Amino acid sequence: MIKYILKRIGSSLLTLFLIVTIAFCLLRLMPEEGYFNNYDKMSPTKIKVGREMLGLNAPMYLQLGRFYKQIITLDLGVSSRYRVNTPINKIIGPKMLLSLKMGMLGVGFSLVIGLSLGVIMSKSARSKSRFKLWDKLGSAFVVIIQAVPMAVYCLFIQIFGTELLNRFFRLPMLFSRENSLTWILPVFSYALGGISMYAMWTRRYMNDEANKDYVLLARAKGVSAGKISRSHIFRNAIVPLIQYIPTSVALTLMGSLYVESRYSIPGMGGLLVDVIKKQDNPMVQALVLIYSALSVAAVLIGDILMALADPRISLGKKEDVR
Amino acid sequence: METIISVKDLDIKFNLRGQILHAIRGVSLDIYKGESLAVVGESGSGKSVFFKSMMGLLDANGFISGGEILYNGRDLTKITKEKDWMSIRGSEIAIVMQDPMTSLNPLHTVGAQVTEAVKIHQGLRGMAAKMAAIEHLADVGIPEPERRYNQYPHEFSGGMRQRACIAIAIACKPKVLICDEPTTALDVTIQAQILELIKQMKRRYNLTTIYITHDLGVVAGVADRVLVMYAGDFVEIASVEELFYDPRHPYTWALLSGMPQLGVRGEDLYSIAGTPPNLTYPIAGDAVAPRNPNALKIDFVSRPPLFEVSPTHKVRSWTLDPRAPEIPVPENILRMRRAGGRGL
Repeated sequence: MIKYILKRIGSSLLTLFLIVTIAFCLLRLMPEEGYFNNYDKMSPTKIKVGREMLGLNAPMYLQLGRFYKQIITLDLGVSSRYRVNTPINKIIGPKMLLSLKMGMLGVGFSLVIGLSLGVIMSKSARSKSRFKLWDKLGSAFVVIIQAVPMAVYCLFIQIFGTELLNRFFRLPMLFSRENSLTWILPVFSYALGGISMYAMWTRRYMNDEANKDYVLLARAKGVSAGKISRSHIFRNAIVPLIQYIPTSVALTLMGSLYVESRYSIPGMGGLLVDVIKKQDNPMVQALVLIYSALSVAAVLIGDILMALADPRISLGKKEDVR
Repeated sequence: METIISVKDLDIKFNLRGQILHAIRGVSLDIYKGESLAVVGESGSGKSVFFKSMMGLLDANGFISGGEILYNGRDLTKITKEKDWMSIRGSEIAIVMQDPMTSLNPLHTVGAQVTEAVKIHQGLRGMAAKMAAIEHLADVGIPEPERRYNQYPHEFSGGMRQRACIAIAIACKPKVLICDEPTTALDVTIQAQILELIKQMKRRYNLTTIYITHDLGVVAGVADRVLVMYAGDFVEIASVEELFYDPRHPYTWALLSGMPQLGVRGEDLYSIAGTPPNLTYPIAGDAVAPRNPNALKIDFVSRPPLFEVSPTHKVRSWTLDPRAPEIPVPENILRMRRAGGRGL
């Protein structure tokens, strides 16, 4: 197991190294306007001095070396246009924290509700009842959330949700950090998609597992229905889902463009698009790096969790089967 | 002999999206304490369904529509709640299933799965339960049981997994053990070992064993009594000697003729023409009739009663009626009769 984990970490680091290098190369291919705030009005001498200051005149390998060093010390450089001469860490830090808080709440919420809903739906689908009411209601919910564009149901939630909550509390339409009530609607909007996904897959995997022979054997040996549901069916059904939890947490760090803009939450959502539009080269570079590092880390953690949950996964030494 | 399970006029049906499939069609059977009963029949003849109904393990769309199953006097068809089955499953009737590759939970250790049964049926906890489970693993011939206890099913070979399944069944301390094609998924060299193990367990724990199989070789090796099923009905019930030396039902003849051991070198192996009937339609007369070249007219009209050949030998076929014309017994069956069943 340890060998498997080390192997996976090694290959992740290699991936990251490649991404860093590619990000660096891509940046050098971009027009140099992106390094300066007011390129159009600068004289050629000023540009030359500016390039010198940024170290862009040094040979490529030196620049690359410097870049690696920067990354290792977690220094992402200085923004050139988005917020002139502000360290990128300072810009991204608070935004990321906010997106992370909101996203984690959303993921946590969607996991709890989604898994529970999935379990209820699966139980109802397998029951002898003719109507299977819960399964039908749940499926309708899943289909609606999957089919209706997020923009539409988020808008509805914002308008009607605010109105509804306003009857009991004083609630502003937009987000404010201090008022914890304003967190409710964005987190809820954020979680809905996750709820429907987790519910759908939990139901499906649980129904699959419930039809397997080992469940029949467990019943035949007299294990109670509740225990079979918990320690056999549910336990086995969530294994394929475990892998995606870290990825969905990583996605939250990238922020949700739509939800954040609707409630004007100063999070990460849309930041990458903004800085590309503003041609802020160091910011683009930093964000690409952060996002790819997050994805790599999420997949890595997902794989490790999966290996912990399923004993059959091991890329290590095969023990001989007898 | 003391009866442990007594089935009377049992009907089992399945609801297939509104269509009703009549899987078991009014059958009666007494199973005696300590006997070894083998059940043979084609796929879909209702062998597994019949015995699964005794443990309340029918699929969700299956139901018992008539008759009774008396287990030590208690009518199992009256049990409706899953909870009430707990007193039967495992502690009275245990099962060993066909495919040991899928009948163990891949995410639990083998030991944990044996211990689960020990905890439920032997009332042991913690270390004591673990020790008992290890003992059961050792009993079924799994070497190094302490080490094997902590391994997962994928670290076991097929034969070892089936041993583990038998250990689970034994850990329940049952009175009746149903072996649902216990050797079908195993390779031939392991089959004999597993059958020997089941026999050994039967002797040691004084079990009543029921083998569901379509391997007549297995039947000859393990059974005291044989039940031949076709289309949800019993066509012939006989002691193992009677079945092999003096089979009476045309379907039994056909089954026996299909054994490679009875074939003649160089000739095509006998196979039964036609297919089993669709049980969603009512069956008139003898279900075997359409596949029986010597079928009588009455076979298509009226269901034959069980004719008694001897106290232990019953046959559901009009050919046994005194008014029926003499049907020639197939040559290879006669040969087997003359050989006294040798060569099986």
